[in-house]
Amino acid sequence: MEAASTKAGVLSHLSLLEVQARSRRTQPQQQSRVKELKAKVEALKVQKQQLEAEIETHQNLQKLRLSLDKQCADEEDVEMEEDSENSQLLRLMARHTQLKDLLHAHHLIGGYDIIKTRQGKGVCVSLATAYEGVYLDTYNLEIDLKPTVKIGRHNIPPFIPVNSLAEVNDMQTNMRAFLDALSQHLNAFAGRKQQLKLLREQHKSIEVMESNVLCSILVLMFKVPSAKTAVLCTLDYTDHSSCLPTRVHFECEDKQLPDSDQWKKNCSLLMETPVHTALTAMKKMGDIV
Amino acid sequence: MDDSARRLLQRLIRRIPAQMLKPTLDKWDRLTAAHRQSMDFTESKWALTEKLLAIYVIENPDHSMWYALQLVDPEDDAHSVELTQFKEQFKSHLRELIRHVSIKIKKHTDEAVWIRIAWGDSFSRPNHLKPTYVVHHLQTPYVFVTSLTSKLKPLLSQALVLSTRYQAIKDASLSARKLTAIRDLLMRQYQQVFPTKYPSSLVENNQNASNILINKEQAELAASRHQKACEAFGDGMLPQLQSAVYKLETKFRDHTNKTMTEREEAFRCVVKFASTNLLESLRHCASSGISSTPGTSLLSSIPLKGRNYFVITDNGPGPSSQTRQPPN
Repeated sequence: MEAASTKAGVLSHLSLLEVQARSRRTQPQQQSRVKELKAKVEALKVQKQQLEAEIETHQNLQKLRLSLDKQCADEEDVEMEEDSENSQLLRLMARHTQLKDLLHAHHLIGGYDIIKTRQGKGVCVSLATAYEGVYLDTYNLEIDLKPTVKIGRHNIPPFIPVNSLAEVNDMQTNMRAFLDALSQHLNAFAGRKQQLKLLREQHKSIEVMESNVLCSILVLMFKVPSAKTAVLCTLDYTDHSSCLPTRVHFECEDKQLPDSDQWKKNCSLLMETPVHTALTAMKKMGDIV
Repeated sequence: MDDSARRLLQRLIRRIPAQMLKPTLDKWDRLTAAHRQSMDFTESKWALTEKLLAIYVIENPDHSMWYALQLVDPEDDAHSVELTQFKEQFKSHLRELIRHVSIKIKKHTDEAVWIRIAWGDSFSRPNHLKPTYVVHHLQTPYVFVTSLTSKLKPLLSQALVLSTRYQAIKDASLSARKLTAIRDLLMRQYQQVFPTKYPSSLVENNQNASNILINKEQAELAASRHQKACEAFGDGMLPQLQSAVYKLETKFRDHTNKTMTEREEAFRCVVKFASTNLLESLRHCASSGISSTPGTSLLSSIPLKGRNYFVITDNGPGPSSQTRQPPN
């Protein structure tokens, strides 16, 4: 009786399952598959529409960019075709990409690069230095924009007067002037440093008597074969934004030597060309060894 | 080098016969060729001892604490001060202030001007066994000193200010055993990291991959932490500071302790962080996730402001006390 009822339970369960399976099998396999594929088609159609919209926006942007670039080149007034929100937004986007490309080009030619930091509350400026076609050190400067325009941390050495440059060029209102001046100072310093390095490499016979970290003064000792005497040459770089000296001075036991035509020429050579190339020329002419 | 070592060196030099000094030093073979050449064996034994001690200090500048000072308010011609002018001016100004003093100034290849001062007083000649060393790079506002007593500090400060053409000098609140550490920190000669559009891969050398899957999950987080840690403290070898001291003069704040919170006056306490390489430890804390990033500005102020002594009042971290004297 127990066995019979459980068997009945099992049997009834089995028959229930059979009914379920049969009802499922009445819906053909292919239909569910078709449904799947139809849904996929819909999804792909939506994606295609999105992509088409993106392409159209991009094409409009390109057109706007072309007209903007032409306008900037011809310096015409901006034409307002339609004042709709859409076209204004497109115009803004075009201007944005134009500025980004301009910054990128500036970066490529060795100018400074700016990126946003701290969610737009600051920027980080990357100033690259180069001399005679060779990239040298890159300096970074963080500037806070909110709440006030203030210089943050940087890796500019302490003998470059960043703070006084900011004051003199009024960084608060004219950021561009400040950055240009800073870039000029850094590039000039890098140039002078590089000249000193090349001088030491290429002219080992010439003794460097004095130099300093800012590379704003250079004292060299020349040996003059013809006069069998030594000449002490002082190069003052008082203009820290320049790679060339502001003053060249010779000292020699033979008082007449610095006034000779040849050495007057050497003086102007040293004033006008980078020191390592000037010395090569002077060696060629036999004035020094 | 402590006193007993110095006296030992003195006695050694005295006992070695004069003509044997050069061969002995050559055989000892511990001096570089340049140093050997600079030893003039026609000088007195006393001068030679001094020379050897000077070489020792210059080669081992980490035997005592170095302090940084900062020159402020340059005159118009501060930037064109050149070496001979500085040497003459410094010597003459210091000699005006204190009669019995021995000054030696030498420029090194890295443009650092080393000054060695042996102080005497009205009764005794200069004491060469306890000289003060001063290191300065012209055209920068920083001066590094070691072994300077508080009594003599004003004299040195006066001479420095006048010869560098600045208006004043102050304590830069930075000290360490290694001269290179404070010099690199202030002259910004270590590798700082800045946010950049083209992020370079700051490779973290910690390759303890216990589980590749865990690493993969954590890789992005770890990279971002490492980047932020390096931005705060720097990359690569960091200047080796040994300590940072925060002197707190703030009111006690803890709700569970009423007696202390009710006190009117500030709760004075001093917090000191010490390590063989403090900046490296702090960076590792941040990059390994032990401390959160971005970290507290109190710690990142150490490399940012180039100082390791801070006084914190309730109005915020202020300039350190100007009267802080380097302990002897």
